[in-house]
Amino acid sequence: MRKFTKYWAIFKIQLINSLAYPAELFWRSIIVVLFLWVFAQLWKLPFAGTESGVIAGLTYADTLWYLMLTEAIELSRTRLIRNISEAVKDGSVAYLLNKPYDFLLYQLSTSLGETFFRWLLTTLLGGAMAWLLVGPPPDPRGWPLVLVAILGSWVLNFCMSALIGLLAFVTEEVAPFEWVYQKMIFILGGMLIPLDFFPAWLQNLARCLPFAYQTYGPARLFVDPSLERFAALMLGQFTWIAGLSLLLALAYNRGLRRLAINGG
Amino acid sequence: MPAIQVTNLHKNFQTKRKAVGLRGSLRSLVRAEYGTVEAVRGLSFAMDPGELLGFIGPNGAGKSTTIKILTGILFPSSGQATVLGFVPWKQRRQLAYQIGTVFGQRPQLWYHLPAIDTFSLFGKIFELDDRETSKRIAFLAEAFDIADLLETPVRKLSLGQRMRCEVAASLLHKPRLLLLDEPSIGLDVVAKQRIRDAIREMASLEGVGVLLTSHDAGDLEALCKRVIIINHGQIVYQDKVSALKRTFLTSKLVEVRYARQVAPDFHIAGTETLKVAKERYGVKLRFEARQTPVEAVMARLSEVGSVVDITISDPPLEEVIAAIYEQAERSEAAIAK
Repeated sequence: MRKFTKYWAIFKIQLINSLAYPAELFWRSIIVVLFLWVFAQLWKLPFAGTESGVIAGLTYADTLWYLMLTEAIELSRTRLIRNISEAVKDGSVAYLLNKPYDFLLYQLSTSLGETFFRWLLTTLLGGAMAWLLVGPPPDPRGWPLVLVAILGSWVLNFCMSALIGLLAFVTEEVAPFEWVYQKMIFILGGMLIPLDFFPAWLQNLARCLPFAYQTYGPARLFVDPSLERFAALMLGQFTWIAGLSLLLALAYNRGLRRLAINGG
Repeated sequence: MPAIQVTNLHKNFQTKRKAVGLRGSLRSLVRAEYGTVEAVRGLSFAMDPGELLGFIGPNGAGKSTTIKILTGILFPSSGQATVLGFVPWKQRRQLAYQIGTVFGQRPQLWYHLPAIDTFSLFGKIFELDDRETSKRIAFLAEAFDIADLLETPVRKLSLGQRMRCEVAASLLHKPRLLLLDEPSIGLDVVAKQRIRDAIREMASLEGVGVLLTSHDAGDLEALCKRVIIINHGQIVYQDKVSALKRTFLTSKLVEVRYARQVAPDFHIAGTETLKVAKERYGVKLRFEARQTPVEAVMARLSEVGSVVDITISDPPLEEVIAAIYEQAERSEAAIAK
């Protein structure tokens, strides 16, 4: 049991730590309001052009609430890739290894702790804005499922980010990979445009990749909750998390052997 | 069983080598050339349980690399090492329960939070129960005189206060061995003294072994019984601190003050005059105690005139250590030739 409570403690201390500068937290979250306003203007026209007010099964209100959630997930992302790759590059990863915990679980715990309040605040501010723009949020009965899906999304993001960060063992510089990853989330993750609006082949491609399970999945479940959708999302998230965490453990163990400490 | 046993330890680092300028950079893109830096070259030593061992050497001598291998952070290139019976790089986590580490240049306390938060976190990480943790914190707060500091965010503490908290935090789980890498770096004299006192006290109280790296000879003098001096990844000297003094601190410094003025060309047989003060009352000189006994020098000094004040001291340990480094460099250069 104590083997696990330590990670809970690590999560908690990072949670408290993230409140050290509340003003910074607020300002980085408030930007969601601006984004939603822009999205609202952007999508007004296409929806006005339809008779039914529905595009690919989504209304204008659905779309905005959808984008609120994808933005909240995206904006609460931590600098994990940068942190891990820099720790690898300058060797400070070594100083995180002198305590009895698993390095990757330690990173997961701190990353979740750092994410939580950012996400909460962004969601509250974004939610208020979306409500103002298009009226009340979707069916609250779906929210618990969405929360589970968001947690899954964070873990999946952790696996991918940590994997990219650990690439620094081999490539030293990881910024290009980070850039590609982010753009993949934007497009194939359905962060900017709901995947439903894409042609079928692109939707199918997105379904085969991990990005959509991070942003599209939870947001789509939010605007149209159903157990069926939830189950499919869980299966996708679980499969990717399982596969990627295996890869991650492998990469970490191999990387550690190459660890050279600059200035040691 | 020794606390630490190291046999023929080597650690090489690969570094990318690149010729000067743009052309060199382009060439290294096509075919990178690697050079090898030998940070640790065939190190062997042992440390007894509860021993206070100093590990010193100039920058880049391989001290920190060795400590990192011993904590399981780095894999060695070859050679063996056991720490408290564990092979560090294979059993890092088991070992971590038994050792405490402080890296002077890498704080482990959470910077924005009060130290007490990090203490409780460490309690969880080392799987202590909560009552045990708070009892231990109270005890360490007393020993390191940090009770008033625990609730203050770490970023608001002075460096000296922070280091006392750092060392105290590393002792939370009652480690059997403490690895201190430059614990006094950047501290002022008083802060250094306080931290040394606390470490010494804890070591004798709980029988914790201490392996300390430093390039401050004062740390060594105050804390360690035995010293290993390394340079270029090799041991150049290893013995008791007292032996170090006996072997190398053979010269003595004398400062004398006379009631009357002395001659400007003041000289005493068997000594070397370093300085005659301007107003010619005070004199500073040095002699080799093995060649000229202290007694003889004293007698000859009082023959000159009536002595008002006299102090006899050893040259600072730092000078001695510098001399050992130089000696090692010279013999290495000779071998290279």
